[in-house]
Amino acid sequence: MPVVWLSLLLLLTVGIEQMEWLFRLLEPDKRQVIYARASFFALLMQHVLVVGIASLLAVIIGVGAAIAVTRPAGRDFLPLVSQLASIGQTFPPVAVLALAVPVLGFGTLPIIVALLLYGLLPIVRNTLAGIGGIEPEMREAARAMGITPGQILRQVELPLAAPVILAGIRTSVTINIATAALGATVGASNLGDPIISGIVNGNTAYIVQGALLIGLLALTVDSAFERLVRQRQLTPAHG
Amino acid sequence: MGEGRQAPNWVLISLMLAAGAAWLTLDVVSVAPNRIVPGTPHVALGILGGVPAILLVLPMLAVTLLAWHPTRKGLWLSLASVTGVLTLLPLWLAAATAMLVDPDLPQARVGLGSAIWVLLFLLLLALIELRTRLGLSRPMGWLLLIPMLLAWWLSLVLWLEPLALQREYQARSDQFADALLTHLTLVGAAVGASLILASLLALAMRRHPGVRRMGFAALNFLQTIPSLALFGLLLAPLAWLASRFEGLASIGVSGIGWAPAFLALLGYSLLPMVRNIHVALEEVDPAVIESAHGMGMSRRQVFIQVRLPLALPVVLEGVRITTVQAIGLTAVAALIGAGGLGTFIFQGLGQAAMDMVLLGALPIIALALMADALIGFLSERLRPGGLE
Repeated sequence: MPVVWLSLLLLLTVGIEQMEWLFRLLEPDKRQVIYARASFFALLMQHVLVVGIASLLAVIIGVGAAIAVTRPAGRDFLPLVSQLASIGQTFPPVAVLALAVPVLGFGTLPIIVALLLYGLLPIVRNTLAGIGGIEPEMREAARAMGITPGQILRQVELPLAAPVILAGIRTSVTINIATAALGATVGASNLGDPIISGIVNGNTAYIVQGALLIGLLALTVDSAFERLVRQRQLTPAHG
Repeated sequence: MGEGRQAPNWVLISLMLAAGAAWLTLDVVSVAPNRIVPGTPHVALGILGGVPAILLVLPMLAVTLLAWHPTRKGLWLSLASVTGVLTLLPLWLAAATAMLVDPDLPQARVGLGSAIWVLLFLLLLALIELRTRLGLSRPMGWLLLIPMLLAWWLSLVLWLEPLALQREYQARSDQFADALLTHLTLVGAAVGASLILASLLALAMRRHPGVRRMGFAALNFLQTIPSLALFGLLLAPLAWLASRFEGLASIGVSGIGWAPAFLALLGYSLLPMVRNIHVALEEVDPAVIESAHGMGMSRRQVFIQVRLPLALPVVLEGVRITTVQAIGLTAVAALIGAGGLGTFIFQGLGQAAMDMVLLGALPIIALALMADALIGFLSERLRPGGLE
């Protein structure tokens, strides 16, 4: 399935100019029916890049923080971090994006920071849930076998928590793709741009072009995660 | 738990030291003669000789010291100190405003600096930490905020007229009330409609496994589509429908406005709602149903008197998720002309008027938090054997 969505996405990104006749039906009176301020390929790349950087950082920091507060040295911080992660998820992503602007200014950087901050929450929450859900006997057994704490983390805790962590990353990336599109309102150029520009100029064709591409991007990424989850279920975890 | 033998609470110590440092070094306020000119930043130590600023640091230092050997009494004292600082902060701000703002400049405005935001954030974190350590319930935690909210409200009404946020509000208080009403109406309508529709869907799913598979696949698919894209994709067909059928246009359906917003909100709300209703009805213990049948109840009676009350907390959980999600999504709907509090966010961003952005964003966050707390509390209460 991810391959299907991906090929549709790429096909549409490259071939949207050839479909002018189709969008002409949508907006017969407009002089221009294909968004032309930037190539769709550049917009797609920009979108993927912003979401990619923010999500990668969110995974590193989020999983790292969750591991840190479940070690004996950081356990003091566990209740606060876990509460913060669940309260923070109540904040609407738009509001977080809007609040990032006064602090960081317009442009791509505030979006990356806002996506990173918001994307951390589901990852931290799920990593904590994943590690916390491991039965104590498993850890005891590993310790009894004489394995070091580092090995317990790598060979027991992380593999067992992986499905839950993966689900958190999936949620985080899905939200980030949607929120990044809103970044077009704070001066980032990405696939949200044609939509915003279409709304401002009353050009439905632009809106549909942007919306189709963002929708396909989201479906591609989501189905890739789906595939990843299914593969993990088929191959038994080593540990 | 031996008195005074506890290990230091590093969470409180680091929160308090960071809060104190931020308060004394970062900009607290910026004062501008009008809306256009950028403001002059001030630090807390430079205002009123720095004495009130130092006084505000003392309770934070006290919390740091108490956290060194945390005892229950110490934690309560810390709680009082943190609440105290949070309550005194707006009063300090009022004094600073009176000091800094020239009364001859009616347009002068005071913007909140990073010190205030950082301080508020860290102190609220400390409050959460103390609440957890003291084992206080969630509603208790909300009650703790009351003195602080009262102090803010009082200061805003009496002394903080030059606050930029307040100025933005006063310039458009009617618009604000309208936007708030539109926002709540859209959320309420979407959540209400999705509750009805989702119940019907969930009941159909219980009867037909085919409907269940197809339904969940379709709703999952819908949930994946980013909101901005879905709003956009609804625009074209609705505009077309409205141009074809005058009846639709006359009740206000068009490509932009409430119609696409409502449909998209409804679509997004269905998945969490259907999922929770479905799970709620499925997960009622079969033994309970069995015994109800054994007592001679009819199928209908079992459904209404046994299954439904047992399922209600889980259904409410779905309402909670849906409502919080809808409050955020309605903000995005402002982009397609649906109105609501998001209007201020996007207008403010367009004009680079940050206080206007705050006027939209802060109430949205507050609404989301309140909805989460209220419905969460309700579903906890209704859980069989829930709150004691």
